[in-house]
Amino acid sequence: MVSFMEEANKKLSSGRIIAIAILILIPFFVYFLYPTYNKVNPTIDGLTFFYWYQTLWLGISGIMYAIAAYLWDKR
Amino acid sequence: MVFGLEGWIVFWVLFVVFVFLGFYGSRWRKGDLSQLHEWALAGRKLGVFLVWFLVGADLYTAYTFVAIPSLEYASGSLAFFAVPYVSITFAVAMLFMPILWEKSRQKGYITAADFVQDVFNSKILAVLIALTGIIAELPYIALQIDGMRAVLSVMLFGYSGVKAVSEWALIISFIILAAFVYTSGLRGATLGAVFKDVLIWISVIALIVVVPLKYGGFTTAFADAAKAHSFVSGLEALKPTFASAYVSLFIGSALALYLYPHAVNGSLSAESKSKLRMSTALLPIYGIGLAILAIMGILVYSDPAALNITKVLSGLASIPAIAVTAFPQWFAAIILLGIFVGGLVPAAIMAIAQANLLTRNIIKPLKRDLSPKAETEISKWASVAFKFIALAFVFLTPLTYAVQLQLLGGIIILTTLPAVFIGLLTNKLEKYSLIVGWFVSLVASIYLVLLANHFKTLSTSSYVLFGHPIFIGIIGLGINLAIVAIGTIIKFAIKK
Repeated sequence: MVSFMEEANKKLSSGRIIAIAILILIPFFVYFLYPTYNKVNPTIDGLTFFYWYQTLWLGISGIMYAIAAYLWDKR
Repeated sequence: MVFGLEGWIVFWVLFVVFVFLGFYGSRWRKGDLSQLHEWALAGRKLGVFLVWFLVGADLYTAYTFVAIPSLEYASGSLAFFAVPYVSITFAVAMLFMPILWEKSRQKGYITAADFVQDVFNSKILAVLIALTGIIAELPYIALQIDGMRAVLSVMLFGYSGVKAVSEWALIISFIILAAFVYTSGLRGATLGAVFKDVLIWISVIALIVVVPLKYGGFTTAFADAAKAHSFVSGLEALKPTFASAYVSLFIGSALALYLYPHAVNGSLSAESKSKLRMSTALLPIYGIGLAILAIMGILVYSDPAALNITKVLSGLASIPAIAVTAFPQWFAAIILLGIFVGGLVPAAIMAIAQANLLTRNIIKPLKRDLSPKAETEISKWASVAFKFIALAFVFLTPLTYAVQLQLLGGIIILTTLPAVFIGLLTNKLEKYSLIVGWFVSLVASIYLVLLANHFKTLSTSSYVLFGHPIFIGIIGLGINLAIVAIGTIIKFAIKK
C-alpha cells in the first residue's frame, strides 16, 4: 500500500494511508467471505439475501472508494 | 411477430441520432486528428464525468445485457459473480491506473506495452504484451456482436429469413461504425457512449420498476423458475460446490479488466490523475444496473411471452425478449437500441485499442521512420480491419455460452499481469522470467481450457483442482507468478 502512496509523490499522513487502505479493503473482504451472504433469508419482497446483499454492497463500495479517492488527492 | 412498425421506426430514428453523434465527435473539442493521441485518447482531455461514461461504457456491454443474464437464466446464481467482480475491479483500477496515467503523461505512452518496453527495456516483452492484448480483445468483441445479434433476432422474431437479414444488418452497422471511428476516433465513441448510457439507464430503471410489478414480484419469479428446471449452480443462493468457482471467477475477472487494452485506453484519456481516480472510484455504483439485469435472467421465467421467445432463441435473448413483451413498442425500441449500441460502442473502443497496440508496439519497432501521421493512418485502418475480423469470427463460429468468450479473453489477458501491474510497482522483476512466465502460463491456460471442455465447444472456464472448480485464469496467474518469483529470486541471489 505504501508503494502506491509513494507514487503520488507527496506525503500523506500515516493516518490517512490507513484510512484509505481500510476503505479499499473492506469491500474485498465483504465479498470474499461468501458464507456470510450465501443464504436465502432475510428476503426483500421475495428477493433472496444472496442477491440483494451483494447489490447493496456495490453502492456502499462506490461510496467507500470515493471517500478513499477524496482523501488520497485532497491537498 | 413481436416487434412491429412503430418499434422499427423509433429504433431507426434513434440509430440515426447515434450515428450523427459519432460523426459529430470529430468536431467536438476539436484537435488535430492526425495525431495518434488526439484520435485514440481524445486528446487526453476527458473529465470525471466523461471518463465515467467512457469506462462505464466498457463495462455496460453485451456482457451486462446478454451474457450475464443468460448465464443466470441457464445456470442460476453463479452468474452473480459479476457483482463482486464489478466492485473489486474498480478498487484494483484506482490503485494501479493513476500510476500508469502519470507515467504515461510523463513519457508519452499510449499503451501498456509502451510502458512495459520502457520499464523492462525489452522489445520482445513489449511485442508479446501487445500481441496478447490484441488477441484477448477478439473474443470480447465477438461477445459484443453476439449481443447485437440477440437484439436483432428478437426484433425479427416471427419474420422469415432472420439469419440472412440479421447478418446483413450487422455488416451494415459495422460499416457505419467503422466509418465514424475512422473519422472521429475516441471522441466519436465517447459521445456515442454518453448517448447509449442515457438510453441504458432509462431502460434499467424501467425494467426494475415494471417487470417485478407486472409479473407478481420476485417470490413468483423464483417459484416459476424453480418449476421450469433445476439450476446447476443454485437459484436462491449458491450451491456450496460452486463456491471456489464463484470466488476465483470474481477475483480473476477483477484483476483482468484493467489489463485489457481498451480499459487502459479509457483510463489514459482522463484529464488528470485525481479525476481518473475519482471517476473510477464511483464506477461500482454503475454496476448496480448490472446486478438488476442479471436478476432479469430469473424474472423472465414469470413472463410467459418472453419465456416463449427465449425457449425458441436462447437465454441470450432474455432481456430483449422482456423488452418487447413487457413494454409498449416505442419504449421497447429504446431498450433494444440501448443494447444494440451497447455492443457497438465497446466494440469500437476495443478495436481502437487493438489498433494502437498494432502500430505502436508491433509495426513501429519494425519500421522506425514511421511519421506520426502515417502511424495514425495505419491505426485508423487497423481499427477497421479488427472490427471485421471479429465479425467474421462470429459468423464462422457457432453461438456458444457468450459469457465464456469474455472469460476466455480474461484468461489470455491475465498472462500479462506480472509485467504490467507488478511492473507499475517495481522494476526489479527479472525480464526473461517474465517472458517465460507469460509463455508457460498462456500454454498451460489454453491447454486447461481445452481439457476442461473435452476439446469441444467452449462451455466452461473452470478447471477442477483438488476437487474444487477454479477459474483457469487464476490457475495460469499462479503459475506465471511462481515463475517470475523464482526468476527474480535467482537474479538477486546471483548478484550477491
